[in-house]
This record gives sequence, structure tokens and C-alpha cells, in this order.
Amino acid sequence: MNPYIPVIVVLIFGVVLGCILSGLAYFIGPKRYLKEKMDPYECGVPKVTGAAEKMSVKFYLTAILFILFDIETVFLYLWARSFDQLGWLGLVEVAVFVMILVVGYIYVVRRGALEWD
Amino acid sequence: MEVFYFVPEVLFYILSGLILLSSVMVVSARNPVTSAIFLVLDLFFVAALYAKLDAHFTAAIQVLVYAGAIVVLFVFVIMLLNLKPEALRGVRFSVGEAAVLLITLVGFAIIGSELARTAPEAVIPGNLGAGAIELAGGNTFVVAMRMFTSYLWPFEMASILILLAIVACVMVAKKDKVLGAAHHFRGGSPE
Amino acid sequence: MGTNFGIDLTSLLQWNQFTVDLVSFVVKFAILAGGLLQIPPVMVWVERRVPALMQRRRGPNRVGLFKWRLYGLLQSLADTIKLIFKEEVVPDGAHKVFYHLAPVFCVFPAFLIACAIPYGPDLNIFGYTIPLSVVRVDVGFLFIFAISSLAVYGVSLAGWASNNKYSLMGSLRASAQMISYEIPLGMSLLPIVLIYGTLDLGKIVEAQSSFFKWGAFTAPFSLLIFVICMFAETNRAPFDLAEGESELVAGFHTEYNSAKFAAFFLGEYVSMFVLSALASTVFFGGWQVPFVPYESLVAMLGSPNIAAIVGVLMLLLKSMFFMWLYIWVRWTLPRFRYDQLMSLGWKFMLPIGLANVVGTAVVLAVLRFK
Repeated sequence: MNPYIPVIVVLIFGVVLGCILSGLAYFIGPKRYLKEKMDPYECGVPKVTGAAEKMSVKFYLTAILFILFDIETVFLYLWARSFDQLGWLGLVEVAVFVMILVVGYIYVVRRGALEWD
Repeated sequence: MEVFYFVPEVLFYILSGLILLSSVMVVSARNPVTSAIFLVLDLFFVAALYAKLDAHFTAAIQVLVYAGAIVVLFVFVIMLLNLKPEALRGVRFSVGEAAVLLITLVGFAIIGSELARTAPEAVIPGNLGAGAIELAGGNTFVVAMRMFTSYLWPFEMASILILLAIVACVMVAKKDKVLGAAHHFRGGSPE
Repeated sequence: MGTNFGIDLTSLLQWNQFTVDLVSFVVKFAILAGGLLQIPPVMVWVERRVPALMQRRRGPNRVGLFKWRLYGLLQSLADTIKLIFKEEVVPDGAHKVFYHLAPVFCVFPAFLIACAIPYGPDLNIFGYTIPLSVVRVDVGFLFIFAISSLAVYGVSLAGWASNNKYSLMGSLRASAQMISYEIPLGMSLLPIVLIYGTLDLGKIVEAQSSFFKWGAFTAPFSLLIFVICMFAETNRAPFDLAEGESELVAGFHTEYNSAKFAAFFLGEYVSMFVLSALASTVFFGGWQVPFVPYESLVAMLGSPNIAAIVGVLMLLLKSMFFMWLYIWVRWTLPRFRYDQLMSLGWKFMLPIGLANVVGTAVVLAVLRFK
């Protein structure tokens, strides 16, 4: 049997389970509307009107660096799978690959792009 | 599966239909986060298509890198920019636009099937059939061996590309550091 | 495409490989799903009694049946019933679709990954071998990482859809934390692939046939890195700043109550279990019994099916050890500050992970290639 048929079935089950749980309270619980309940929660005080929040660009940097190192990890997985057959030559090839990326990583660290203050 | 003969073809059409549908939803959704989630769905179906072609490695990587990293980046940026849906103009198809879209799609389908029909039948030498791939050690192994021997230079160039991307994004995001101020995104419209 | 579109339905009525696979899948999955759904109630009880005992107090011990106290075991049942019947307050301005959809993104990845783990050696019933993993893909590890990277969406969407800027901040921080620790997590399992030469989890378990071939001995640094990243991925233990009680209220799930909160809880505990099971599979020999290789186990017990049951119990035991570790660490260590957390992930874990891979590769090359 195609190995992905169970994957699809389990996926559908997981989604349905999530939806059931999500909808359960909506349908079962009581509904008593009070305006104060609908306000966003801010530790009990009335809402400090949302001035524009400054979100940091650090999140963007983290996400991009995550993508790039994720791609590197994927290539390393490919190499690890065929490590035995590739021998020393493969090790050298991948060492070059990793070295180039280590240069990039050192640049990032020295430039302070990973500082969270 | 000897039981159902026609399932592979039907599955392909179903998946393609879902992919096209998700793509249309990506483009026409009013809320950018909705677009991003439909993009995840779209990429997931593309991965399913890869899996159907027995390219298991590519399918896993499609979900891992594309749907699980790149679209996460999109979602982060959307949330950072905090765009309100009312601020965006919704995409509504007028009758004329819908007709043009339909004709374009039908045209693509016709051209594609013509090209496919007249393509040379010969299998490119060096490609393996599905059974041979299993014997050779599985999809990932074959891809790995091929990549580190025949396609070594693209692999090393990929690392240079990634290095370029790292340097570029750090320079873009940290550019104001040179001027002495930290660079922040301003959140969106006031309440 | 042949002209015969006939469906040979009669072959569905006999026991052949396809129908055996189908039926065994349904049975396996039913058992697994049922088991996974029992984990949060049990864990909630453990999570309250164990730290209580660690802190020299009693914890909940009143909820019982009629007049038996039962050590408070029914506390979880009471909690579940309460959670389901609570009123669900959907905040003003919360996104109509994603507010309700976000918990789903937290639930289904955990279940999907749980299916990829080999729970025991193959069963042998009437000549058909039935593998004891619900899903068997040959890109084992990559499948697991691919699906677990989808769990980030649950966290991000939850905070964003709540129309609460503290939730949004909390969810962004939690998502950034999760993605930052996904890389060292992936890299820590690379030496395992190098050593055992395969991505398939079933084969990795089979390769750990003797006690000293366990992953914990062949790749000790990987174990260390994996365990630390395991805590960070599930937003638990010292890395739970984004949802810790004293920070940002409850972070990304502040505006969620009753059953949706239960859904997040379910997702968190199931993914804890799944990562524990993964750690047991890769580093602690999975279903292998220590010092007893599979063949002698079968010889001792007489039938491979009984050996399979023993294997499943062994794996559960090892996973429970890691779950215990989760709770132990949570109530022992103080919380990391967010910038310490991110620095740890990027500036410490990533280089160490990379050095681990390179070092293992060099050592293996010297040992294997001469």
C-alpha cells in the first residue's frame, strides 16, 4: 500500500479532531455576553489604546537566517545519507560547503545581527 | 495496487485542481495572512504531487523548507507590518477578467498537451525508473549520490548563493546601525 | 491507460497484503490515537503531583470517587469536564476564521509525527509481517522535521488572530524561539544519520542491537543538544518564557479559553510525548531491550508477537523517562530571559551542533575509510 495513504488519513483525522475540540466549547458552553469580557486582556486594566507598536526587525532577521541554515541542514542530510559511498572526497566537498557557510555565520555574529536586547 | 487501475490519473487531476484552486485563493484573498495560509496549503499539495511521483526527498524538503520556513517568513513579515484587511483593496474578478483568465488557462492546457504529445519518447539516459531507484537504495540515496558527483558545482554554487543571501539580508536589516539608530518596523494604523 | 476500467473488488474481500495493510493501519491508528488522547490527562495529574512532592507539599489529592480519595487521580477528569463546559469568550475583533483555526495547527502535526515512530519490531501474523509504525516513509527524519515545522503556524496564528497586542508579541517571540531551535535540533540528528547510515527510523532502531551501540553512546553530544532543543521546541521547561505565568499573561494563548485552550494543551503534551519517543528511538535504542538482542528475546519468549509487545512497552517506558525529565527540569531550573534564550540557540547551539557534525564525520571517515 502506498505509504502516503496513512499520512493523508492521519492528517484528516488530526484536522477533524482539532476542529471538534475547537468547536466544542462554541457549541456546548453557555454564552453570556458582557462587553467587558470581549475586551482584549491586559492584566485587568482597561485597554491602553493601541498606539502603533514598534515590532523589531530582529524577527525578520531570525526568520531569514532560519531559512538559510535550514537549507544548509537539508544539504547536510543528503550528504549524511550517502556518507559511506562518497568517502573522503565527499567529506572534502561538504567541508568546503560548510566552511563557506561558517564564514557567513561569523559575519552575522560579528555584525551583531543576532543580538536581542 | 492492482485493485484500482485509474486512481493514479484521477489523483493527479484532483491534486492539480486543488493546487490551482489554492493558488487562485492566494491571489484573491483579502487578508494577507489568509493568502499565506493558502500558500502553505498550495505548497503542501505540490509536495503531495512530488510524493506521487516517488520523489519522496523533494516532497519532504518542499514541506520542510518552503512551507515550513519561507512562508513562516512571510507570515512574520505580515504580522510585523500589521496590515489591516480593510486597508487593502480586495481582488474581485469582473466578468471580463474571469473570461480572460479562463481563456488563458484553457490555452495553457491545450498548448501543454500538444507539447507533451510531440515530446520525444526516449528516456533521458542516466535516469532511473521507479523500481531501479528502490533497488539502488531509495530516493534520497540516489539523489545524494547524483548531487555530489555529477552536480557538484551547482552544489557549491548553492553555498555561495546562501552566503550572498546571508550577507545581503544582514546588510539590509542592519543598515541603520551604521547611522547609529536601531531599525524598527512601525506597526500599522492606529485603532 | 487501458480500456478496462474494471475495479477488481473481489480482491478486497480476501486477505492479501493490501487488505492486511489496510486493516492493520486502522487498528494501529485507533490504538495510537486512543493512547495519545490519554496522555494530557495523565500528564496534567503528574505535572501537579510530582512538583508538589518535589516542593514538599501534597498537590491535588482530593478529587476521587465517592469517598475514596484516589490520590487525586480524577482531578484530570474534573479539569477536562470543566474546560469543555466553560464559556468560550471570543474577543472582539478576533479574526473570524483563524481564531478558531489556530488550535488545529497545533494539534495535527503532533499526531502525524507520532505515527512515524516505530513502536516495536514487526508482528508476524499468519505469515504477514506487520510493521509497528502507523506510517512508514523512507525519509523518516525529514518527514518528522517537515511536519514539526508546520507547528509554528499554530502559535503565530493564535497570537495574531486574538487582536491583542500582547498575544501578538508573545506569539512572535514563541514562533521565533521555535524556529531558532529547529536548526540545532535537525543538526543534532545528523551524526545519527552518519553513524547508522539511514534516514529510516525503523532501521535505526534495528541497528542499535547491542547496548553500547545505542545512540547515547555513539553520539553523546547529539543527545545533549537534542534534549536541550527538545525543551525549547515545545516551549517548555526553562524555555517557556513565551507562555510562562508571569510573563505576558499566557502569551499567545491568552485569549483562548475552554476547549480551544484544551486543544493547545493537547498539542503541547502530545508533541512532548512525540519528541520523547523520538529521543528514545534514536538515542536509547527504541524498542530494543537493553542487553537483550532481538533474536534472543524472541527465543526467550517463544513468539515474535510477544517480543513485539515487550518492545512497545520498552519504548513507552523510555518515553516516560523523558516525560519525567521534562517535568523535573521544569520545576528545577529558573526560566531563561528571552534574549538569553535566543543567544543560546543561535550563538551556542548552532556552532556546537555544526562542530558535532563535522567532528563525527571526521572521526567516522578515519575509522571507516582508512
